[in-house]
Amino acid sequence: MIDLRDVSRIYRRGADEVHALEGVTLHIPAGRFVALMGPSGSGKSTLLNLLAGLDRPTSGEVIVAGERLNELSEDELAAFRARHVGFVFQFFNLIPVLSALENVELPLLLTDLSKAERRTRAATALRVVGLAERADHVPRQLSGGEQQRVAIARALVSDPEIVVADEPTGDLDAKNAEDTLALLRMLKQEFGKTVVMVTHDPRAEKYVDEVHHLDKGVWLEARPGGARTAGEVRHG
Amino acid sequence: MIRFLPLVWRNLGRNKTRSALTGSAIALAIALVCLLRTMPAGLDAFLDEIAKNNRISVHNKAGIVYPLPYAYLQKVRAVPGVVDAMSWTWFGGAFEVEKGVTFPNFAVDPEPLGVVYEDMGIEPAALADFERYRDAALVGRQTLRTYGWKVGDRIALLSTVFPVELEFRIVGAIGQDRDPRFWFQREYLTQALAAQGVEFDQLGTIWARVDDPARVQPVMSEIDRLFRNSEAETATETEKSFFGNFFGSLQGFVTIILIVTGLVALCIVFIAANTASMSVRERIGELAVMKALGFRWRMLFGTLVLEAALLATLAGTAGVLLTWAVTSTLGRLAGWSPQLGPLGSFIATNAILVEGLFLALFIGIVSGVVPSWGASRRSVAATLREVF
Repeated sequence: MIDLRDVSRIYRRGADEVHALEGVTLHIPAGRFVALMGPSGSGKSTLLNLLAGLDRPTSGEVIVAGERLNELSEDELAAFRARHVGFVFQFFNLIPVLSALENVELPLLLTDLSKAERRTRAATALRVVGLAERADHVPRQLSGGEQQRVAIARALVSDPEIVVADEPTGDLDAKNAEDTLALLRMLKQEFGKTVVMVTHDPRAEKYVDEVHHLDKGVWLEARPGGARTAGEVRHG
Repeated sequence: MIRFLPLVWRNLGRNKTRSALTGSAIALAIALVCLLRTMPAGLDAFLDEIAKNNRISVHNKAGIVYPLPYAYLQKVRAVPGVVDAMSWTWFGGAFEVEKGVTFPNFAVDPEPLGVVYEDMGIEPAALADFERYRDAALVGRQTLRTYGWKVGDRIALLSTVFPVELEFRIVGAIGQDRDPRFWFQREYLTQALAAQGVEFDQLGTIWARVDDPARVQPVMSEIDRLFRNSEAETATETEKSFFGNFFGSLQGFVTIILIVTGLVALCIVFIAANTASMSVRERIGELAVMKALGFRWRMLFGTLVLEAALLATLAGTAGVLLTWAVTSTLGRLAGWSPQLGPLGSFIATNAILVEGLFLALFIGIVSGVVPSWGASRRSVAATLREVF
């Protein structure tokens, strides 16, 4: 599902070069729930951006869902993201002027679905995350946990193969963090999604199949998460 | 793009106070521009109203204040294509001496009047009386209204040009609702002057009607050719051109109005662009998220420009309605104001109102393009890194 081969990403900051990732090779099979962990500046968010088609590597290959992302134009990358990737962010990033239902419907505006179909699918996604009764509420009327569930419904609504989550529990209390992790786990178990999550949250380990550790832009190791055995973990 | 309209509409309501203030600024600017534009358009409409396309004026080439020999009138009448011609001579009569001349009054030839000014709407009975009575006067409806005169009244005018004071009987009304003119028989003035030993053999302007609008140009050329190298060469022009030149001193004022109009429009572009920039800057993170979800930059650019254009167009519509309300009210309350000349009339034509709407749309698009372009072209990964 996700293959990174000798991927490096170098940013220019004025005259300086920042090596955010160096020679990372990684394989994540379909239907796996994976956490990327490491200290700040370790390159985990950069890695997430690359495999989600938000950024391009300086060198190396990124192959996701059969698409060689290095070779795609900006528009093709946008189409790739719309078709294959759902996003969950730390600060939920819902559109404040839209209701929960409309926020979930947002990715479907990029499809050919009729308005009625879009509404039906959005309502279904909200039901999956347990927020059907909050459909008409705007984000400011929802708690942090509820907003993150709406964001997960938004990531789910277009039925992508991959869901990427960047610190999804970073702005939540313990109870909501556990609920969010459980929901992400459910995406893998119930819907067969490949979920890749960047996190600092140690609670996440017990929900994921494997944990990839990075430091200073270098992939260090992969360890089994609480949900799998070590023997199932594979890396390049 | 239609499916994004609800999102665009919601975004407009995101900061209602800011949208309302920006919209109000645009609406007032559009109203101001439209009101300013009514002035040149009002002048043009005025000329269209008073000018006939087959009526021509013949005056001294040196200027309309210089007279022509009265004998020219017969020569003009004889030019092929001229149906009839009559003379006008400025009398400069003051009704209330202390106020000076408050309406234009002329000595004219009564017989050809009905032919040359067949469109003037003068009643046949009034025309007949005008020919019958030596002291008859035909008075513009505006002047009748201003002084409360009516047919049958007798009034006196003291000339500021000739050494006479003449008493007139009003026998009819002439022209449109806003016509200030006052006509009386040339013969009446001729006799009054003769009584004082003054010979009166000149005229101010000749007005002639041409049988076919298509022949106006050759007829005008022929008349001027007729008097070339004479003691008083003529300049012949159409009625609209004549009045246009007569109000020529206002053209500079009109130019200033157009310059001010342009500056007002430019100012409002800057205001709207500033608002659009603030609005886009506040949403830079949201735009990055939408790009992450798969929205292409062109879609985001389109929705942002559409948002600015929609606000400006709605505001422009309000401005246009305001203009229409102001001009309608002014029209009802004030009507024609002789003190202001033709510019006293605010005429908001459909063309001006449509121009106002297009200007608003233009302001919206121009003000939205620059900030929207920058925001929609930003790298999504870089923006997410910066904002979150």
